[in-house]
Amino acid sequence: MKRYLKLYGWLLLQQIKIKLEYPVDFFLSVISQIFIQGTGFLTIWVVMAQVPKLNGWNFYEVALIYGLLTLSFAVSVTFTSNLWFIGYTYIRSGDFDRLLVRPIDPLFHVVMDTLNYSGFGDFISGFILVIGSTLALGLTWTPARLLYLAFAVLTGAAIFVGTYLITADTAFWIMDSQPLTYSVFKNFEFAKYPLSVFPRAIQFLLTWLIPYGFASYYPASYLLGRDTGPMAWVGVVVAVVLLFIGRRLWFVGLRRYSGTGS
Amino acid sequence: MNEVIARPRTEVPLIRIIRRAVVAYAALASISLKSALAYVTANWLEFGLQFLWMAAFVYFWRAVYAGRPTIAGLELHQTLDYIILSTTFMPLVERFLIVEFGWMLREGQLAIELLRPVDFQINIYLGQLTGLLSSLLQKVPLLLFAWFFFGLRLPSNPLIWLAFAVSLLLGHAIMFCFGWTFACLAFYTTETWGLYKLQVGLARLTSGAMVPLTMMPGWLQTVCQSLPFAQVIFVPIALLTGITPLSQTPQVWAVQVLWLIGLLGFSRLIFHLAIRKVTIQGG
Repeated sequence: MKRYLKLYGWLLLQQIKIKLEYPVDFFLSVISQIFIQGTGFLTIWVVMAQVPKLNGWNFYEVALIYGLLTLSFAVSVTFTSNLWFIGYTYIRSGDFDRLLVRPIDPLFHVVMDTLNYSGFGDFISGFILVIGSTLALGLTWTPARLLYLAFAVLTGAAIFVGTYLITADTAFWIMDSQPLTYSVFKNFEFAKYPLSVFPRAIQFLLTWLIPYGFASYYPASYLLGRDTGPMAWVGVVVAVVLLFIGRRLWFVGLRRYSGTGS
Repeated sequence: MNEVIARPRTEVPLIRIIRRAVVAYAALASISLKSALAYVTANWLEFGLQFLWMAAFVYFWRAVYAGRPTIAGLELHQTLDYIILSTTFMPLVERFLIVEFGWMLREGQLAIELLRPVDFQINIYLGQLTGLLSSLLQKVPLLLFAWFFFGLRLPSNPLIWLAFAVSLLLGHAIMFCFGWTFACLAFYTTETWGLYKLQVGLARLTSGAMVPLTMMPGWLQTVCQSLPFAQVIFVPIALLTGITPLSQTPQVWAVQVLWLIGLLGFSRLIFHLAIRKVTIQGG
């Protein structure tokens, strides 16, 4: 474990060095990502300018949901987005064999190869939304709330990673897993709004199957003092279960792996 | 002796040149159709994804309308029809040439494309046009689902369909010319991913893919009208859903034709200038 942390720190430093070799590319990527998030949010603003409340949630409360979701997504995509491309870049090309002969866990290696700096743009956008909306709502950031925020963002990020990992595992069978990861991921579109606007089936889907609700709606409800019962805390269990399934499935797939011969 | 050799050359009439061109372009077009239909699994996934995406918007808009008869002059059913169609057609504003140009530059494919005895821009346009037709065909089941589950209403008047079809084709050509001009930036920057994303962000907001433009505040509507993206989403779909009345079709077409002429000329000029800058990498 200690060895892995040391390795990770060292390799992350190398990744940062690589990225800083191309500063223009870096800034363009970050700025365009902020821009994309901004235009997405502007759409919600246009709608909320027409109606004061969406199923009992006002503009700033919806903004908080959106901000929390964006923060969790940002953390997951910055550090693990290679999972999206495992089929395409590693398995299909045969590059995966290279990882197998190294004396470290191949999954760790794949994740370690990532530093997706467009995630910085998402992080900045999410941060601005969370801070801006809570200021407008008059919510004070007590230490307890800050701790909960960190807990919620990390839980949300772990849930995102869990869904990337489970879908990435299918690459051992179907070669290119990216379309599948993408279609599961796309359900975060639902999680941008209060889950209560959706019918029960979709609420269930977003709570237990593709549980992005734990990255947005439930923590936002908790921070705003709405009654969520245990749902404000269950997310962490869901995240652990997802990651566990993802890891088991990884080993099943790995045993099956025989290379593509390319 | 010379006369014998010269004779066949004088006998090659214009019609034959045209026929040869048509055969060549048709072959190129059919290849891109085939490659689009090859990925069956990916197509099914995309279908499920699009349906979920559509459902998210339908429920969202129902919640927005709760207890309100109209918003910005639009009734719920009008907005829903509009949103179902606009989210279906949204991929039309998310495919941009700039990534393709960047790839062609890096892989050296651009040199090969330029050597072909057909016009490069027409060739790529035909590829995109067949791409449009095949993706429209793939949307038919999605719209049937939308009709069944969300009560999508489509007009029965064939004139409205004609107005829509022409407007969509014009809009698609406008977007192609814009995308072409923008893609020429790749010849200068070689970096394309960030520029691509800027374009996607701008397109999503200003095309009217997420919100009918009529709901936006005045200043934002002005911004959207002065960018080309609305021509391929809002303008044709507003005709189809009756937001723009049929009687205004001639004006709508006229504006689109003007956009097209302007951008077509501009795109050819820019390409002509930019291609001198090109350094093909690798290959």
